[in-house]
Amino acid sequence: MSRATAAGLLRGGAFAAIGIAFPFVVHAAWIVNIGVLALMYAALATAWNLFSGYTGYISLGQAAFFGLGAYTLAIAFEHFGVGSGYKPFWALPLVGAGVALASLPIAWIALRTRHMTFAIVTLTLLFVVQQLAFNLRSLTHGSSGLMLPTPSFGIDNYDRPFYLAMLALLLVALGLCWLVLRSKLGLMLLAIREDEEKARGLGIRVTGAKLVAWWLSIAVTAMVGGVWAYYLTFIYPEPAVDPLVMIGAVLMTFLGGRGTLWGPTIGALVLVPAQQYLLTRWGASQWYLVGYAAVFMIVLLVLPRGILPSLRDGLVRLRERRRTRRRGVMRREAAA
Amino acid sequence: MHEVVQALILGLLTGGVYALMASGLTLVFGIMRVINVAQGALVILAAYLSYTLFSHFHVDPFLSILVVTPAMFVLGVAVQLLFVRTLRGPDASELSLLVTWALALGIEGVLSVVFKTTYRATNPSYADHSWDILGYRVSVVRVLAFGASALLLGLLSLLLTRTRFGRSVRATVQNPTAATLLGVDADRVRTLSFGLGVSMAAAAGAVYGVLYPFNPGSHYDLISRLLSIVVLGGLGSLGGAVVAALAMGSIEAVVAVEISPTWAAFSFFVVLIAFLLVRPQGIFGLRERTL
Amino acid sequence: MIRITSARLAAVAAGAALAAVAATAGGAAAHGAAGPVKIGISLSLSGDFSDSGKAARRGYNLWAKIVNAHGGLLGRKVQLLVRDDTSSPTQARTNYESFITKDHVDLVFGPFSTLLSAPSAVIANRYGYAFVEPAGGGPAVFQEKLHNVFFTQPAPVLQSGDVFARFLLSLPRSQRPKTAAYPSLDDPFASPIADRVRGILQRAGVKTRYKTIYPSETTDMTPIVQKVASKHPDAVIGGTQNGDAYAQVKAMVQLKFSPKFLFLTNGPNDPAEFPSKVGARNVNGIFSTGDWFPQERSPGNAAFVKAYLKTYGGSRFTIDPTSAEAYAAGQVIQTVTRKLHSLDNKKIIAKLHTGSWPTVEGVLRWNSIGEPQGSDLLVEWIHGRLYPVFPKSVALHKPLVPKPGWGK
Repeated sequence: MSRATAAGLLRGGAFAAIGIAFPFVVHAAWIVNIGVLALMYAALATAWNLFSGYTGYISLGQAAFFGLGAYTLAIAFEHFGVGSGYKPFWALPLVGAGVALASLPIAWIALRTRHMTFAIVTLTLLFVVQQLAFNLRSLTHGSSGLMLPTPSFGIDNYDRPFYLAMLALLLVALGLCWLVLRSKLGLMLLAIREDEEKARGLGIRVTGAKLVAWWLSIAVTAMVGGVWAYYLTFIYPEPAVDPLVMIGAVLMTFLGGRGTLWGPTIGALVLVPAQQYLLTRWGASQWYLVGYAAVFMIVLLVLPRGILPSLRDGLVRLRERRRTRRRGVMRREAAA
Repeated sequence: MHEVVQALILGLLTGGVYALMASGLTLVFGIMRVINVAQGALVILAAYLSYTLFSHFHVDPFLSILVVTPAMFVLGVAVQLLFVRTLRGPDASELSLLVTWALALGIEGVLSVVFKTTYRATNPSYADHSWDILGYRVSVVRVLAFGASALLLGLLSLLLTRTRFGRSVRATVQNPTAATLLGVDADRVRTLSFGLGVSMAAAAGAVYGVLYPFNPGSHYDLISRLLSIVVLGGLGSLGGAVVAALAMGSIEAVVAVEISPTWAAFSFFVVLIAFLLVRPQGIFGLRERTL
Repeated sequence: MIRITSARLAAVAAGAALAAVAATAGGAAAHGAAGPVKIGISLSLSGDFSDSGKAARRGYNLWAKIVNAHGGLLGRKVQLLVRDDTSSPTQARTNYESFITKDHVDLVFGPFSTLLSAPSAVIANRYGYAFVEPAGGGPAVFQEKLHNVFFTQPAPVLQSGDVFARFLLSLPRSQRPKTAAYPSLDDPFASPIADRVRGILQRAGVKTRYKTIYPSETTDMTPIVQKVASKHPDAVIGGTQNGDAYAQVKAMVQLKFSPKFLFLTNGPNDPAEFPSKVGARNVNGIFSTGDWFPQERSPGNAAFVKAYLKTYGGSRFTIDPTSAEAYAAGQVIQTVTRKLHSLDNKKIIAKLHTGSWPTVEGVLRWNSIGEPQGSDLLVEWIHGRLYPVFPKSVALHKPLVPKPGWGK
């Protein structure tokens, strides 16, 4: 095992250990609840990064699959009585795999188009899925929404199961990213991102590689949607397929660093608590959306590569400067 | 049959206004490889400006185009200089997608603070008038809206085919590098074109406010339609955008009457996906190398 | 279905048991404290529901101001903790959990809209808080069968059109409509109301000529209204919100289609906006419904309207009913705490399930899951003004039937 791999595993293990211990050490429900939201966005952002960050194809339709996951679990509750304790969590892998499988044909059509067209087609998926949620009234109850059974967890740890579920999904997403980056698939994806035509010319099975990354990304996204539905106990089309959720995840990815392993998580762990703090602090202000747009704009214009790469660059530059200074000193000494 | 024809008339008239909005979007893409996701929000902003002119100064909404369009042109130029131009590097196109989205959110936020979220509508005295033509009822404002859109689209096409500026624009669309070598100031062309694209949104917005009630959140629905139109028409193709907009208008109107209004918008998305299956580049789009 | 219901019942039972523990703990803290009575309210101050959210805030603030001017609740000042939920249910749930577990509020009041009230009520229930709420009257809120919910309007939202059906059936047979069309908005507070009215009227022999549901982004009503007009119904009954109601009326005027009866659940009930949206000459004879009107003679209403105008200005016709609904939630809590001499949520919940409670929304009574047992008002535009016309006990004008043509 190389040193880098060992360090990576150590970092991952430490993160998982702290993450799991957190809700058992901290008992204040409101803090655990913010943890649920932060992990939810971290998982969504990491999943988005898994496809869009590595292939360079910007998907604007991730929220559609979040919504599909949420509705699939909610409908399963209503028709099959999944139960109201921990059992629904075990249904999640099925939900994720199913939704991702169903999304493959659409992805195949969309991926045949150019980058910009792909972005737009995925954006229209958002509206297609929301319309289905509105229109398939016998399944979804349309705009009236679907009520899920109240979770039966006690008030001393009401949010802990949701926290752990979101954490598990984030760890899965991180693990997948890590594996992908260390595999042939990762190399193929990066080649696609650099120059797709050239990659195709080199005999790389471009479409297959893109579809695998897509499937993994969508599976995680749909499972996060399922946990969210159970956490909220009530879903309806607008928040289930919400462009703002997607934009939030993308913003966090860009803030942390697109195409990096930990960037999306860092972005989410910074932004979600910050957003909650701002809402509590200036909770009665109506400038929320404007502020959000401003932050987004600043991140894109000032830090388009994100915290992690910028930090790394900064470190490298600092080291170089020190080295040149040292060299300069030596030169001056030599001259003297 | 009567119903279907009536729906078709309505759909085509509506499609004309959408064509005007989409023209700005596709023009900007052709020149800059930038999708302006804020186009919908800019339409709504213009609708509010026109609404304010009408309700406070009694300016006719169709005349307000003359005021709103230049004002929004300036705004467009500012947006290009402040936000879009600063993006560099290989990801510039993708980043511009997100930057303009942020802009759309910002516009929505400001509008909902200034105008609140209740629906508004610009209601000139002739808003309810309609003509009876061969047994078909045709509303006056819709004909006016279609006429204004067609006129502006005509002017735009004249500008692109008959003027020096138009030639530089077309040269830039076809081959940016060659255009620069031939002495076209690419930066200037881009800036003016972005302004022009936003002006189209502005003119359409003034009209939109008369046809439909709107609120700051209306831009989500609008932009999803506009993007579908330009993709169906072929990104960068003006003619394609017009054909696609008219197709959207008529498909939605007929489905609304014959099947159900809840499936109207959906039907157009299905047409779009099915079409892309056959022709990924859209109606008039060129099969370009994947960028 | 049955399995889910029993699971829910079990959950509610478990919740109630836990609620008892929480309530005693909360109650003890409340008795010991001498500071202000803290009330947590999540409101939509930005996003889709922000206009109504702000209207609710005006009602809550006005109530707090008046209560504090009269010595507060049980001798303690009232302090409202208002937090924006950006019209998102996830944020509303987060806000209530934070009010309860971080700010340790004594009481909570509901947010705006059923869509946010439903998940918030579950959280309040879990922690044993009474959930007196002004704006969550849709079925989702009651579906969970929570014992801590109290909706401060005269009737559940779904039943708000029933009053029009009752009015039609009160007419002599010759004047009643024989056929009806039901174009409705796909909205939890629109189409289900029209569906109920259709059920009642069909049973009474009124034939359904046409029904359709259109999505909320439908901005063009002409094709739908055209279809309605082609069926020549006597009555048009639309489950609507404001925007599409205006568009429907405008399309009818354009198509010169004037039915004998026109009832729209929302839109015409806004005295300030409706005439400017459809033209003041086109309003006469249009029916709508509402839970509150400025001229209403309900407990404390005159004082409420006076204080509202003094604080916020405007005319009484520009007061959003949401403000009155929020004010009513305050009135309920004020009365019940005075009766109990306690802020104990468990006692409040038990007490509110008994007796009747005077508010600006009328005298309210609830069943075991918080559904109010009263009736909404039927209102109609007559000579360019909006009047309550039915039930007779609250009518301020004689109903005008049939509807005159457009521009008359």
